[in-house]
Parts: sequence; C-alpha cells; structure tokens
Amino acid sequence: MESLHNVAAGFAVVLEPTNLLYCLVGVVIGMLIGVLPGLGPAATIAILLPLTYGVEPVTAIIMLAGIFYGAQYGGTITSVLLRLPGEASSVVTVLDGHALAKQGRAGTALGVAAVGSFVGGTVAIIGLTFLAPLVAGFALDFGPPEYTALALVGILLVATIASGSKVKALVAAAIGLLLATVGRDAFTGAERFTFDSLSLADGIDFVPVAMGLFGLGEILYNLEERHRAVSAPGKVTNVWPTRKDLKESSGAVARGSLLGFFLGILPGGGATISSMAAYAAEKKRAKDPSRFGKGAIEGVAGPETANNAAATSSFIPLLTLGIPANATMALMFGALLIQGVTPGPQLVTENPELFWGVVNSMYIGNVLLLIMSIPLVGVFVRILRVRAAILAPVTALITMIGAYTINNSVFDVLLVVVFGAVGYLMKKFGFEPGPLVLAFVLGSLLESNLRRSLLMFDGSATGFFTRPISATLLVVFVVVAVLPLVRSVRNRRAAPSQVDAAPVKNRDVKNREEESV
Amino acid sequence: MTSFTRRTRRTRRALLGATAAGAALTLAACGGNVAGGADAAGAEFPTGPVTITVGQDAGGSTDLIARAVAEGMAEDLGVAVPVVNRAGANGALATEEVAAEPADGHELVLLNASLITITPLAVSDDEAVDLSNLDVLKGLSQDDYVLLASAESGFEDLKDLQDASGDITYGTTGVGTGSQLAQAALFAQAEIDGTAVPFDSGSPALTAVVGDQVQVATVQLGEAKPQIDAGKVVPLLAFSAERNQFLPDVPTAVEEGYDVPVSQYRAVAAPKGLPEDVKARLVESIDAATASETYTAFNENNLLTPLEISGEEVTTQWSELAEKYRALTDEYDISLAEG
Repeated sequence: MESLHNVAAGFAVVLEPTNLLYCLVGVVIGMLIGVLPGLGPAATIAILLPLTYGVEPVTAIIMLAGIFYGAQYGGTITSVLLRLPGEASSVVTVLDGHALAKQGRAGTALGVAAVGSFVGGTVAIIGLTFLAPLVAGFALDFGPPEYTALALVGILLVATIASGSKVKALVAAAIGLLLATVGRDAFTGAERFTFDSLSLADGIDFVPVAMGLFGLGEILYNLEERHRAVSAPGKVTNVWPTRKDLKESSGAVARGSLLGFFLGILPGGGATISSMAAYAAEKKRAKDPSRFGKGAIEGVAGPETANNAAATSSFIPLLTLGIPANATMALMFGALLIQGVTPGPQLVTENPELFWGVVNSMYIGNVLLLIMSIPLVGVFVRILRVRAAILAPVTALITMIGAYTINNSVFDVLLVVVFGAVGYLMKKFGFEPGPLVLAFVLGSLLESNLRRSLLMFDGSATGFFTRPISATLLVVFVVVAVLPLVRSVRNRRAAPSQVDAAPVKNRDVKNREEESV
Repeated sequence: MTSFTRRTRRTRRALLGATAAGAALTLAACGGNVAGGADAAGAEFPTGPVTITVGQDAGGSTDLIARAVAEGMAEDLGVAVPVVNRAGANGALATEEVAAEPADGHELVLLNASLITITPLAVSDDEAVDLSNLDVLKGLSQDDYVLLASAESGFEDLKDLQDASGDITYGTTGVGTGSQLAQAALFAQAEIDGTAVPFDSGSPALTAVVGDQVQVATVQLGEAKPQIDAGKVVPLLAFSAERNQFLPDVPTAVEEGYDVPVSQYRAVAAPKGLPEDVKARLVESIDAATASETYTAFNENNLLTPLEISGEEVTTQWSELAEKYRALTDEYDISLAEG
C-alpha cells in the first residue's frame, strides 16, 4: 500500500500554492497557444523552458505538462469557430465541428469537445496511475541491454509511424542519429567531429537543437506563411451541451478514451494520430456514415476525446522508461535533465513526489480546463488578432535568452540560430523535425548502451536474447519492422492495380498536420 | 490608418526610452569596472562581485561545494559571490575560460583534481588542462572513492574478487575519471581479470551495481552511502590513503598492499598573475568561509574530509599525483582511453 501513500503525497505536492499556480499558468498558456495556429505545444515548451530553471523540478514539469494537454483543449475552439485548426491534433475536428457551427450549434460542439476532453484526459490519468508503478517494478532489471532494445524499438516506431513521407522521416531520423555521434567518445576519450572545440567535447546539447528546430524554425516558417485573414466569429450561444447531445456522444467519448490512451503510449504515436484514428473509427461504426462531415456530433466527440487521452498517456513511456514518445515528450525529457532528474525506470521510486506530483496535477489541470474552456472561448478568439510582426520577434528573443541561460554559453545561442535555419528549411521542404529530434535523443542512448552491453557480454550479441526483457523487446522490434513489409508485399500480390482512393485522401489530411509528432 | 501610425510611434518612443535607460545602466556599470581596474592593487578589492565558475552542472557535488564556499566568502568580502555553472568537457571548458580572464581576483574557478591528474591520461595532449595558467588559492576537501559489489554477486572482500573465476565487469563513472583509474590499477595489481563498463556519471554507475548489471563499481562515497546503509551494495575497499572517517570498518586498497591512492580533491583557483594583496584577501575570505559552522556541517553531511591546504601545497600534491598516475599506468600497461 506504499503506492497509495505516494499517490496521496502527490496530491499534497500539487496542492501547494506554487504548484497550483504553475498548473493554472500552464493550462492557460496551453489553451492560448492551442488557439493560435502555427505555434504548437512543442515550440511553446521549447521557448518557455528557461522560465522553469529557477523553480523546483516538479513545478516545472507540472507547468510544461499543463501547456501540452491545455493545447489539446484550445485547438478545438478555432477548429469549430473558424475552420482553422489551432493544433495538428484538431485537424479532423474541423470537418464536423465547423459544420455544426454553421448550423448554429457551435456551442454544442465546443461543449461536447470540452466534456469529451475531460473524460479522455481523466481516463488516461487513471491508466497512468495504475500502469506506471507496474512498469517501474521492473526498474532495476533495466540494464544497458534493455535500454539498447528499447532505443531500437523507439527509433523504428518513430520512423514508421511518423505522419507524412516515410522516406523523409527516415532521412531526418538518420541525420538525428549522425548528430548524436558528435562529441568526445564516452568510452575511449577520442574526439569525434569536435573540430578541436571544447564546446563540442560533450556533444551537441539537446535543448538548443530542440529550441532551434521547433522554436526558431517554427517562427521563421510562420513569418513566411502569409497569415490568413481572421474574421472574428459571431456570438457563441448555448455552450452547455444538452442531455441529448451527451447521450449521443457518450459512445464516441468512451471509444475515443481507450483508443487515445493506447495510441498515446506507443513511441511515435500521440495526439494527432489518435484523433485521426478516432474519427475514422467513429465513421466506420456509424449506421449512417454519410452524416459525417455534415455535423455529426460523434465526429467532434471521438477525436477530441482521443487527442486528450493520448496527450496524457504519452507521459507513460517518458516517466516510466525514460523514452520520449514524441517531440513534445523529448522536450520534457530535456526539461527534466536540466533539473538534474534523469527520466527512467528509477523515477517512480527515486522521485515519487515528482512523479505523483506531476500525475496528480493532471487531474487538477483537467478540472481547471473544463471550468475555463467554456467561459473563456470569446477571450481566446480575440487573441487571434495579435499580429505576427509583434509575436514573432518577441518569441525569437525569448528563445535566444533561454538558450543562453541554460549553460551561460554563446555557443548554444549560435546552435539555436543554426538549427533554427535548419528547422525552417526542413519545414519548407516537407521534412518533419520530430523524427530528427527523437532520433537524436535515442541515438546517444542506443550507442552508449549498445557498447556497454557488448562490454558486459564480452562482445557476444547473443547476450541480448538471454535476458527476458531485452529479448521480448527485440522480438517486438522484428515484428514491427517486418510486418509492414509483409503486408505491402501481400497487398501488391492480391491487388496490383487496386490502389483505392481512401489512403490517398488520408495522406492529404496527414500532410496538413505539421507539428504533430 | 492614422491611429495605427500613432500607436507605432508611441511604441517606438517607449522602446527608445527603455534602450536609453539600459544604456545608462551599462555605462554606469562599465564606469565602476574601469575605476576598479585602475587601482585594483589597492585595498579596494573587491570592487564588484566575485564569480566562481564551476565546470559541472548545478546540483552535483562540485557545484554544492562551490556554493557552500561562496556563501561564506560573500559574507566575508561584503560583495555578492555568484556561482556560475559552465559545464563541458569534464570541466576543461570552464577552467580555460577563467584562465583567460583578467587576473584581478573577480573571476575564480573551482577545480577538480581529476581534471589535472587523471583526465590527461585519457584525452589528447592539446585537450589536457594543466595548472600553468592558474594560481591555486586554497585546497578545500577530499572526496573518497569506494569499491562496491552488488548484493547478488556475493563478494564481500577483495579476496572474493580474486578467487572469482572469469571476467568481472566493473562499472566506472566515465573515461578519464578516478573511478576508472582506481579500478584499472587495482585489478592490474591484484591480477583480477576485469572489463570496464563506463557510465555517464556516478549515479547511473551506482544504479547499475545496485541492479547487478555490473558486479562491482566504484563511485564517490557521498553518492554511495545511502545504498551502503540500506544494504543494497557491499563496500569492499576505499581508495583513500587512510581509512575514511565515515567508513571506519572498510579497509583501504593501500592497507591491502595495493598502491592505488585515488581520491577526488577540490581547490579554488584564479587566473595566473594575481596581485599579492588581492590573493591574500581572497585566501583570507576562503579561510573565513571554511571556518564557519555551516560549512563544516556541510562537509559532514556530504561525507567530505576537509583538506584545507595552501595553494602551493595543492600544486605540489596534484603534480605529484599526476606523475604517480602516469607512472602507474605505464608500469601496468593500463590505457584509460581504451574503454
């Protein structure tokens, strides 16, 4: 019953005034950037990272987590009212949400989305509460071989599940792996790509890379994109959903919660993919699929529930294994490292107050969001009028100051500029920065643990299969790697010319989601 | 349109005002510094904050020591003594940056002995740091390494290690660290077959030995003590020259007949060429800091053995150790750069 005690202690941590305040600040910022198209949670967290240096680790992560799941609420608002998805994970909400708004039922759509988000988020937190200690029970059995296998599976999933072009995702991931090799070799002291610079001796720091790719790159890209003229929407009436609306959407909410929870756990998964999957599932299940796109309430409830559930459950691999499931989680990983906390299986036992504090803050944050999301709709929509000419330089400045303060290093500022340019070019040419960052994080994990394992096994690779956890993970790796190949070969053989229209349409939608990963 | 222009103009004026204020502040600050530089040799030292740069991340033992000393120094000097973390290249980055600063006593660095005595054995010559560009002011304390065995391994003393058949995997806290050197030298002298498995720092190495991922590992005592007390790991040996006051029952490697005295030492240093009176004032303030009750309690809590020797003694001790370690690695054909 020690874990129950820890759960209670976690609530005590959240209820400290500072932590409550940061939780509130986090979810408000999250909703805000959810409303602003272009600026996503990954970019925001990258930019705001320096604000968290001075506070306790648990406070920092509570706020950053609030930004992440808060954005899932905010993204809905503009999708419904303006047909302008604020977040990639709300792209599908546009279809039925805006149709409902045109019928004068915007309030219904927003209300159902808020309730669904709350249920989805809460279900996922409960899952996190019970699942995490289970995984953490194996903590000490996680040695270098297990981390090697985990990193392998992670990199593979990132490359295969990433939205958009797979080849481009692989290219980005490969660059990330290469960047991870820079620095003094941790096993021999040999210099690798350091060009005699002591600043590179420890390799490239993760935070400037992420700040450049997501923060600065995003800002530059958005400046180039001419901002769409935004017309302020009309009044939003009857925001509280009726009993009938809730009844109609309850099935979709339940399914969205489960789907989102499980897709969120997968590395490379996350809010966007689960919202797409939930929409597809609802459409497939419906007795009359033709209603979809014309204002079906399930088409709002399903994806909005799923994206929140996934946003929460993607914390599971990070907090229990130290494996970031998506780019936002990679930033959380960086934030924890800056605070001197190494995420991994030990986290739950070594830092119970941090772990449970963060988990329990999500309950509170979700309640706050539910309360806020309805009355604040009008206020948030007005923020859309802030001009890019003001927003962009301010955010760029904050990013630079932030990069400097991590390590008091001008070199890091230069790195942000370089990676900002890289990030901008990547977006312009259709490469996602997500796989690069994830491969960069996992690359050093993979290299050092692989070499450590081989030292332990005296150079024999068969050692990986003598240990139950690493063997299981490697089997998963093989299955994930081989399955798509087998399937595509079988498909090609069965119907060489039958490339139906559905996947094409699907891909079209997927290309629009930009900072999903 | 007009309202738009007006707003812009107002914004611009506000910005100009802010810039002017900022410039004035900067000028004032510069003025202070220039004046300080002119008669720095006088009794006016310090004329501004005294910065201590640490080559390790905040929160580690080196950083904590710097902050404990800085607290007492600030009180004695009457100026702020901020601690700045400038992690990189094992501390070499911070050391080289401070060495290039003007020698006016306002820029100090907290040194780890291993950077001077052990790291040069693992990295190329031009990456190695020596003391020639620095004035060492004062030694601070000694942090001992202890050889730990996992509970599952069944090892209880060095004899068990020697009798064990096959290769023993030993975790180190990284390449070019005291942990690596101490174990490599001990294994070579005691004729134990072993493979070094380097981890990124003390804490993952400790986790690995607690989880029996490696059979033994060497980490600093302060980190290991909670796990030793909890019975999760068995201390086999301390690498200090004499028994550690916090581990009175654990024999030292020297007692067992092996010549591997490896500890981590820390000292405060300044760029070379410090005026004598400034140096004297700084040493005085460090002495005041280390004499304080809070500082002695800090040492006690962190299991640090005080070693408050003069700068000259530090330089001699570290040079001797560097030579000794080089001779040791030559004699037993140990290469720290081989992993």
